[in-house]
Amino acid sequence: MIYDQINEDSFVLFEIAGTTYGVRSGDVQQLEMIEHITPVPNSAEAVEGVVFSRGQVIPAINLRTRFGFPKIEYDVRARLVVVNVEGRNIGLIVDAAREFKRIPPEAINPPSETLSGMSGKYLKGIATVGERLILLLDLAEVVKTAEEIEIEVEN
Amino acid sequence: MPENEFNAQFFEQFLDDYFAESDEHLRSVRRNLLALEDSLAANRAIEKNVVGELFRSFHTLKGISAMANVSAAETLAHYMESYLRLLRDGQTAFTEKGLNALIKSTKKLEEIVAARRDGGEIPPIEIEIKLLESLTIDGEIVESRPPSEIESIASQNLRADKSLYLFTFLSSAELAERGVNVNSVRERLQAIGTIQKSTPAVKEGGKIAFEFVVETGSDESVFAAWQSDGINFEKIETEARETAVARESKISESQKSGLFGQSNVVRVDLARLDELMLMVGELVISRAKLAEQIRQIENLLPSGEWRSLQELNHAIERQLRNLRDGVMRVRMIPIGEIFERMQFAVRDLARETGKRIRLEITGENTEIDKLLVERMLDPLLHLVRNAVSHGIEDAAAREAKGKSPEGKIRLHAETIGETVEIEIMDDGRGIDRKEVAKRARTRGLLNADENLDESGLLEILCSPGFSTREEADKTSGRGVGMDVVRRTVDELGGEIKLETETDRGTKFRIQLPLTLAIADALIVAAGRERFAVPQSNVREVIEIETGALRQFENNEVIEYRGAALPIVRLARVFALEEKARGAFHAFVVGEGKQAVGIAVDRIIGQSEIVIRAINDRLAQTPGISGATELGDGRVVLILDVSAITRRLKQKI
Amino acid sequence: MKRILVVDDSPTIRRMMIASLRGLRDVEFDEANNGLEAIERLALAPVSLMFLDLNMPDIHGVEVIEFVRGHKAYSDIPICVVTTRGDEESRAQVLEAGANVYLTKPFTPQDLVAQANKLLADG
Repeated sequence: MIYDQINEDSFVLFEIAGTTYGVRSGDVQQLEMIEHITPVPNSAEAVEGVVFSRGQVIPAINLRTRFGFPKIEYDVRARLVVVNVEGRNIGLIVDAAREFKRIPPEAINPPSETLSGMSGKYLKGIATVGERLILLLDLAEVVKTAEEIEIEVEN
Repeated sequence: MPENEFNAQFFEQFLDDYFAESDEHLRSVRRNLLALEDSLAANRAIEKNVVGELFRSFHTLKGISAMANVSAAETLAHYMESYLRLLRDGQTAFTEKGLNALIKSTKKLEEIVAARRDGGEIPPIEIEIKLLESLTIDGEIVESRPPSEIESIASQNLRADKSLYLFTFLSSAELAERGVNVNSVRERLQAIGTIQKSTPAVKEGGKIAFEFVVETGSDESVFAAWQSDGINFEKIETEARETAVARESKISESQKSGLFGQSNVVRVDLARLDELMLMVGELVISRAKLAEQIRQIENLLPSGEWRSLQELNHAIERQLRNLRDGVMRVRMIPIGEIFERMQFAVRDLARETGKRIRLEITGENTEIDKLLVERMLDPLLHLVRNAVSHGIEDAAAREAKGKSPEGKIRLHAETIGETVEIEIMDDGRGIDRKEVAKRARTRGLLNADENLDESGLLEILCSPGFSTREEADKTSGRGVGMDVVRRTVDELGGEIKLETETDRGTKFRIQLPLTLAIADALIVAAGRERFAVPQSNVREVIEIETGALRQFENNEVIEYRGAALPIVRLARVFALEEKARGAFHAFVVGEGKQAVGIAVDRIIGQSEIVIRAINDRLAQTPGISGATELGDGRVVLILDVSAITRRLKQKI
Repeated sequence: MKRILVVDDSPTIRRMMIASLRGLRDVEFDEANNGLEAIERLALAPVSLMFLDLNMPDIHGVEVIEFVRGHKAYSDIPICVVTTRGDEESRAQVLEAGANVYLTKPFTPQDLVAQANKLLADG
């Protein structure tokens, strides 16, 4: 895979509601354009639906909904970031996925108390690269909480 | 660099296309390499069109690998292409050494593509490049415009039973709308003969025409009917033919087939097949409506007339079933396609291990669903590799046992009822039961006092924790083990059996269903979504006037066959958008008092669907049993009818 | 609405090209997998720009260029040749035959978009 050449410091950056987030390149399976997402009846709110990814049926989570931002129509920049979390493939719908970036470990700090808003609990760290602030996602958390919400909905 | 990486990432979304297209070319490469090998063995001149096809395959592999950022494959394909260009242009002679280099490199290309697919380490290509370089001593060959392949096609002496025709196809928008275009015309011409030359031309009014010189043995009456499709023809008389040919060609050695190979195979997109299936489905529904109408007028017609109408109805029903089976059969491909690959693997491995092996193939024309073939490829390869590396003994050992020094491997396929049976048999040493039992005991897979019969032996061989010499042995393939073989067969709904006898050999018998987890389904629309309902659940489709609905203890019911039938609206169960409408469709599920009508907006049609599982918890939901696709890449959910009716009963 | 014809015998490459160009405004796409089909497509509906591969079955890309340039109805269509590494030597011949631009695979989406913008504006 392409990620063989990319070391631990490499991140895929994407945008949600004007904020830049990052996940480790190694956790990303692929980036896809968003075509049709088939809604799954009675599923958790953040689960937008399912899509085929490499022949597999995978859920697509809308990170805007997940982080408490209002939903918007997908435009041409919108992407599905397919990540692998603990052996599961899950698609994350983001406003745009722009670039790869190497972020040295020393640029990453633990999330501060003040940032513990809606998306705060999903953060693993905060990176400062030059002027830019990049929020690094804790994927396991993003997915785990989604499940908890799913259970809440079912009950 | 981020931009480069982002571009690589952008094109990653096409990786599946890349793998599919690479596989297709590699399959064709293998076929053509076998043809080259045959020519070499028989001391015949190699066929130009075989070399031409190989050249094009490597050229395309190079291009798509470059785009998919698989640079090792790109580089290797580039060297192979360079060598083939020399061969094609007659600048070097084809030798055993050349063949070996091509075989080795093709294998390496396959490994690279597989590594890319499986996320493994990309293997080095230095050895293959050195080999190929030594064949193209002058290094890079300058590409000039290739002798347009048609020109290099020989004007073999026209056989007595064949004639040359000039076909002119005048293309137009009206024809294109009817599916008559240059590609479909070319296919027709290939079906009747060999295209020797094709040229575009502009006719009066700016219309475009295509001229094809075709050699054919077919009677003129066959293509006289094509004039209404804008295809005209004239016979090229022998004299004229000679001048035409003299003009075209640098005459070369005889050629068996033309540019496209003389094939009577037409490739069909699976999506188009699905479309056809949908149309058949529509017909089936119309016929059902017709049957209902006929029933209703039974008392209005004289009984003789009514009966003949009814007979006609039954005839249509039968014909529709045949039509459906016919369309299904198009999905089937001969298993020979993968047997060919086995041939390749056996030959390679025999070379590497220095064993003498004869491969016998029977039943290669047995047909099986294309998807099944694809899934079974790696498992079958594994079994064949095992047979070569662990089954067959070396020549000395065989002779010591009084066997022929040449080992035999037999691949066989046949259709038995609704299943296909595939056999992989070798006449080698057999599986050492004691050895397997011993290993199994040390691994805790077998109790000390337990003995192994054949099914127990297979059980052990296929357990994930078990492996004999395989792990360290590169010949057992990449990542596929006996456990994967068994799992794949299970997933496909098949069965695997083992027979083995010391010094007599081993036989694996695999039974597979003729077609995949394919079901007939009703496709329905509710809200903005489409859903698939397995046909086996559906007893009847009815149309309901909203006015005919009655409220009964919080439930809607209609009168149906003299009883009250509860109606569940799918849109309400699934909280879908619901529009008020005067009438809608419902399908009836369950028998007698259990019967329930599930109401949807409308029935779109019928389709054969391939059932796929929804494995992730986030996407699982009561009332949905799986997913499928109808040819447009979108997920269509499959209804779990019993879960939906259970829900209703709980409510009651 | 401008129509871009993408000609390549590899369906994967055609998809990649169309995906790369999808962001352009007011364009639609048509595709062909061989030279004859390319010529047919452009006769059936006006084409504003053509991306063309060279090494294809039946007729070579250069023959397509020669045909297009040789007929008044089509001679103004800008042509961007997109070919595979190793064919570079044919560059002079391609440009002589009348191609406007010569690109080599691998291309980037930006390459294609830049050429499309330029050639569509010139035309």
